[in-house]
Amino acid sequence: MKRIDCPEIGPRPIDEFTYGGEVRRPPQAGADTAALADYVFNRAGAPGVLREWWHHDPSGRWFVLERDTRTDTVLRSVPITEVAHAVPTR
Amino acid sequence: MSWKLFKLGLTSPENEPRFFPEEKPLASHYDVVIIGGGGHGLACAYYLAKEHGITRVAVLEQGYLGGGNTGRNTTIVRSNYLTSEGVKFYDASVKLWENLSGDLDINLFYSTRGHFTLAHSDDAMRTMRWRAEVNKHHGVDSEVVDRDAIARAVPTMDLDCGGGPAVHGALYHAPGSVVRHDAVAWGYARAAAQRGVEIHQQTAVTDIHTAGGRVTGVATSRGDISCDAVVSMVAGYTPRITDMLDLPTPIEIYPLQACVTEPVKPFLDTIIVSGSLHVYVSQSSRGELVMGSAVDPAVLHSTRSTFEFVEGLADHIVDMFPFAGRLRLLRQWAGMADMTPDFAPIMGTTPVDGFYLDSGWGTWGFKATPISGQTMAATVAAKRNHELIEPFRLGRFADFQLVGEKGAASVGH
Amino acid sequence: MPYRRAEAGPREWIDRGRTLRFTFEGRSYEGHPGDTITSALLANGVSLLGRSFKYHRPRGAFSLANHDVNALFCTPQDTHIRGDVTPLVEGMDVRPVNVRGGLDNDRDRHLDRLGRFMPVGFYYKAFHRPKALFPYWERAIRKRAGLGQVDLDWTPDRRAKRHAHCDALVVGAGPTGLTAALDLADNGCSVVLVDENPHPGASFDYAHAGDETALAHRDALIASVHAHPAITLHTRAVALGHYADHLVPIATPDGIIKVRARGVLLATGVIEQPAVFHNNDRPGVMLASGAQRLLHRFGVAACRRAIMVVANGEGYAAALDLHAAGVEIAAIADMGTPESQIPAARLLAAGIPVHRDHAIHAAHGESAVEAATLAPVDADGHCDLARAHRVPCDGVFMSVGWAPAGQLLYQAGGRLRYDDTLAMPVPETWPDTVVPAGRLNGVFDLDCQYEDARDAAARLRAALAGEPVPAVADHRDRVSHGAAWPIVAHDRGRNFVDLDEDVQLKDLEQAAREGFDNIELLKRFSTVGMGPSQGKHANQNAIRILARIRDQGIDATGTTTARPMFHPVRLEDLAGRRLRPTRRSPLHDAHAELGARFMDAGAWLRPAWYGAAGDRAEAIAAEVRAVREAVGLIDVSTLGKIEVVGPDAARLLEAAYTVRAADLSVGAGRYALMVDESGVVADDGLIARLGPEHFFVTASSGHAAATRRELTREAALGGFDAWVVDRTSELGSITIAGPRSRELLAPLTDVDLDRKAFKGGIRTGHVCGQPARVLRAAFVDRIGFEVHADVAATRLIWARLMDDGAALGVRAFGVEAQRVLRLEMGHIIVGQDTDGLTDPFEAAMAGAVHFDKPAFIGRGALALLAERTQRRLVAFTLPADADTPLPRESHLVIEDGEIAGRVTSIAHSPTLGYAIGFAMVDTALADSERALTLRVDDGVQVRATRAATPFVARRGKRAQPESRS
Repeated sequence: MKRIDCPEIGPRPIDEFTYGGEVRRPPQAGADTAALADYVFNRAGAPGVLREWWHHDPSGRWFVLERDTRTDTVLRSVPITEVAHAVPTR
Repeated sequence: MSWKLFKLGLTSPENEPRFFPEEKPLASHYDVVIIGGGGHGLACAYYLAKEHGITRVAVLEQGYLGGGNTGRNTTIVRSNYLTSEGVKFYDASVKLWENLSGDLDINLFYSTRGHFTLAHSDDAMRTMRWRAEVNKHHGVDSEVVDRDAIARAVPTMDLDCGGGPAVHGALYHAPGSVVRHDAVAWGYARAAAQRGVEIHQQTAVTDIHTAGGRVTGVATSRGDISCDAVVSMVAGYTPRITDMLDLPTPIEIYPLQACVTEPVKPFLDTIIVSGSLHVYVSQSSRGELVMGSAVDPAVLHSTRSTFEFVEGLADHIVDMFPFAGRLRLLRQWAGMADMTPDFAPIMGTTPVDGFYLDSGWGTWGFKATPISGQTMAATVAAKRNHELIEPFRLGRFADFQLVGEKGAASVGH
Repeated sequence: MPYRRAEAGPREWIDRGRTLRFTFEGRSYEGHPGDTITSALLANGVSLLGRSFKYHRPRGAFSLANHDVNALFCTPQDTHIRGDVTPLVEGMDVRPVNVRGGLDNDRDRHLDRLGRFMPVGFYYKAFHRPKALFPYWERAIRKRAGLGQVDLDWTPDRRAKRHAHCDALVVGAGPTGLTAALDLADNGCSVVLVDENPHPGASFDYAHAGDETALAHRDALIASVHAHPAITLHTRAVALGHYADHLVPIATPDGIIKVRARGVLLATGVIEQPAVFHNNDRPGVMLASGAQRLLHRFGVAACRRAIMVVANGEGYAAALDLHAAGVEIAAIADMGTPESQIPAARLLAAGIPVHRDHAIHAAHGESAVEAATLAPVDADGHCDLARAHRVPCDGVFMSVGWAPAGQLLYQAGGRLRYDDTLAMPVPETWPDTVVPAGRLNGVFDLDCQYEDARDAAARLRAALAGEPVPAVADHRDRVSHGAAWPIVAHDRGRNFVDLDEDVQLKDLEQAAREGFDNIELLKRFSTVGMGPSQGKHANQNAIRILARIRDQGIDATGTTTARPMFHPVRLEDLAGRRLRPTRRSPLHDAHAELGARFMDAGAWLRPAWYGAAGDRAEAIAAEVRAVREAVGLIDVSTLGKIEVVGPDAARLLEAAYTVRAADLSVGAGRYALMVDESGVVADDGLIARLGPEHFFVTASSGHAAATRRELTREAALGGFDAWVVDRTSELGSITIAGPRSRELLAPLTDVDLDRKAFKGGIRTGHVCGQPARVLRAAFVDRIGFEVHADVAATRLIWARLMDDGAALGVRAFGVEAQRVLRLEMGHIIVGQDTDGLTDPFEAAMAGAVHFDKPAFIGRGALALLAERTQRRLVAFTLPADADTPLPRESHLVIEDGEIAGRVTSIAHSPTLGYAIGFAMVDTALADSERALTLRVDDGVQVRATRAATPFVARRGKRAQPESRS
């Protein structure tokens, strides 16, 4: 089984995690339908380094990890404050 | 003995015609460039030539014919979808499948086995009935059957699944079939080539050229080509192609795995799917159990295998067929499935003039091979979406008009 | 004919002092402990062991190395048993697979003569016209399909899988693996060492069995390994594949061990490759290494008089080895062994004639080899038949080259390239933590193998220590170890490249001629390499053949992908022990005592109803009546119970749910919906305020975990200062519902249940003296209370409620009655009345979407969807007196002959005496007042009247018919 080598909690088997998908930035308030649909549905589908949500089920914690989707290797853990939006705008 | 076999035995093998023409240089211009030499791309080329007289067509394949998901799926054909759009589309596909061996003059081993989608809960039974009712409405042969009916048709299965969750009933779809998947690509390739289509293997598209919002050509690993239309039919590679045009899509790539056992004498005539147990299984004409499951849990652009996949699958197969514990797993593999938010494909015209998309095939693309080829060919020829694929247009997401296939296709295959 | 030698070998595996009896095809034979099925049969002179897959040609032993897939057997307990490696057991009843009427007289043996009518890919070219006949052909073909026969009475042997963790996994316990394991262990690594064979030693035991120095070293290595505390040795242990992060599952006779290593050292060796000549499949034609295994491990001479085809020093060593054991080597055809590798003097002394630049053109004989024709051969495999001569023999041994057992290396990301000198692929690149060594690495000399093992171990140690990895020292041989082209043309074919699949040289040539001229297409069209041995003896020659056809190099021709499993593995072993975690409510035993009929609800077991099996409908109706007329209890411990605490608790809930939360006063509560970013309903529940910074939230049973995750994510994403605590498993929950519920609960609690004091929301207090929270609940009845307390208290409260309630007519009710009751109340179930794309407006819950707050998950989408609702849930009733059948959930709503919706919920209401339900229908129909046409089974149409909800408006009164919206 693949291990998620989390920089914060160390290597854990992937079945301890729930995948939360790509981190996407919500559009500004009042954005048009196209921008909204882009946020809701579109994804950075091409291979590369992706910022993703991973929930560690036993500890109940979310992590944002940068993972190379070609090699399945975790490059680093991103502080959630880096992706957070203190004033939600959607 | 079959007359054809007798003839084959008496003629010198040197006189057997080539399936595929010898390699030749790329031309500088084609009317249509199809990216992807899998079943969909080759079928599209065939129908462009056959039904629309468009023969200046090049199919560009970065690897070998049928080497992507055409050669990696579990070969199931069915049309028992949940939505009217899905049912009509796949029913049209089944009708093409039924005569395809004759049309292409290749024995595809199109074997109609009947297809059971097992329900292990009341919720699942509700979904099965929903599918059955929609199917029947559109003239597709599906019905909800009870445990006794399943027991009669599949006497080798343990309906209590080794202690639960027990089977409550099933959606039975008589037209469900399996096909020799590789041969589909070969048959379409040969028939397209006979009509003048060029097929170039080991030829990767590295860029798509546009001018004034319309496609003008492609760059390939063997040089540039000009063309009027580009059709992307590359499944798991779709985002790499759409990125060349900065065209965002909802497609995400998830690995989908499958495996086979050593071949044993037939004991399973039908195709069995269980969404609850994440299993689908049929026995091939060689005698192998061909088995698959749901997509992997996270995005990945790789065809690596995982051990937990075969562990989980074996666990449930042994629940359903206890004696099959003695069968040996021979080989496992993976493909890259291009998933969409509503589990329906993305097909047809795009905001880039002359660029057509045939994608979002997730785990259900193989069965759509003939109809995708035919409707995409019609779409390219008419420069507007064929009516059967209009519901699957890319623009549906911007309109928040999704296709409701998600309820049925999660482990449908 | 093979026979057991009287003289015991120095390291043989068999115990000659004991005898095992077994039968083969019903005839009795004897063998010894330590024998395999194949060695025991050969010792008895039985050399016809199987029939081939396609042509049913006679086949025998070949490798004795777990690749003999033409000698598969079955017993009453199993099938596809590989006789060459499966230990003989007393009383074994062994039979061949895939024969009809016995091996000698297999009724399908005539298929061999029909070969010309079955050219490569023939099944793609025939049987499909006329279409009507295909089913006939298909049945006939399916009858021939497969090898073994399963027995439907077999029960799976589901054993627990084991786990092992180590610094280094060493695969292969031959000269290289033993040396490497000791080096690693001596330098502080914990080591797991695995080998397929029942004993460590590998090539020591057969390739070096005449070398006393080597054997002494072998014994010392094995003794050290056994004695070393840091080495765990597993024999009869197959490394199935290399998976991500150095997971290598090992199949053993005791089940699977999942080894997680920090690094892997692969000493998997090489697989001897066959020569391709006419009748190279006849029983008696073997790999030379196979003959040596047979001789030294089992004391069995494969024949009395052998002819050998040789292209390397190993072949000559084998010849002398077998000669010393009494096998006459009648002739050696040499296909290009380097002069330096030919022990001319010893051959002369032994009287073994060597024919340089010769090949075997053909073997002769039917079910056993009787002779072979030797002929001069050129570099293209063409024989000069004018100078051919035929030599009688009863065995043919081949030693013409090797292929690396590089499957795991390949899976780990290693790459191989073809080495023209060695005439085999060798590792080119590999990860620092997955290291090849020994013969796999092209190192053939024994002393060099020890060196290579230590070097590889040192590199692996450095990698594990995070130190610079030393450069690779090249210990590879500089002389050829195989023929570049061990393939001989024959005008009558039957020169097999793949014995698994009966693929001949001409088949590959023909496939390429027809355009299947890259290796992957060639494989798929011809099926070369697709059989049970996965091309271990076929792929290398197939690539050579294609390279010649295409006039390109081996590397340019490529290779097919080496997928797991290395050897096939039983599904029961992969499945392992059956583990199905189920969750039981703290009240489970109480339900069982009351005669509950349990049902699966996700991982939970919940009472569906209570009573005798045959009384289902009546029991459910009685439970419903009890709630409507008196009081009922239902265990709702499966509800998700989440507490949200902190200064930003209200803001978090407002961001996560569609409803407002900040405006709730302490003690107040509100129905809440959660949607996803696309506006689809994800969950529903109740939000209740316990304090200024403290909320209690319920989630539906199936979504509890997901809802907690979303709350947690939203807290992190929004930077909210709030904690989300899941208390689902700590707290039990009971709903007390019905007109007498207040009467039942009030005496047991200090919470004021007065209808004016407690209209809704949550109170904290005691129930039966236990700390508890009490919520108003209206899901199943207008009057209802939900009590949450810790699990022990919950048991006590339940018991007391049942006791005290007896006088009031209390009754426990299950999920089935709950479904009816909530429908009577007009409440939806998320996941039943909604589907994967339903938004709140479609679910007729616009009132639960509060746009008067700044932002929440799905707000943007909901603002859009509010304007473009395409379908909506409506309520309907069916007349009580109808003869027509009751529609079922998922029956369609039909309007003008088209699908206009579907029934999502329907039930006969015991309270009302007629059927009630919900349907999700197109907006146009929903907006109208039109009756619904429901199509039930067999196309019968039923008219349903539109209704308002709740269906049960006031106690026992029928609701006025009007649109729900």
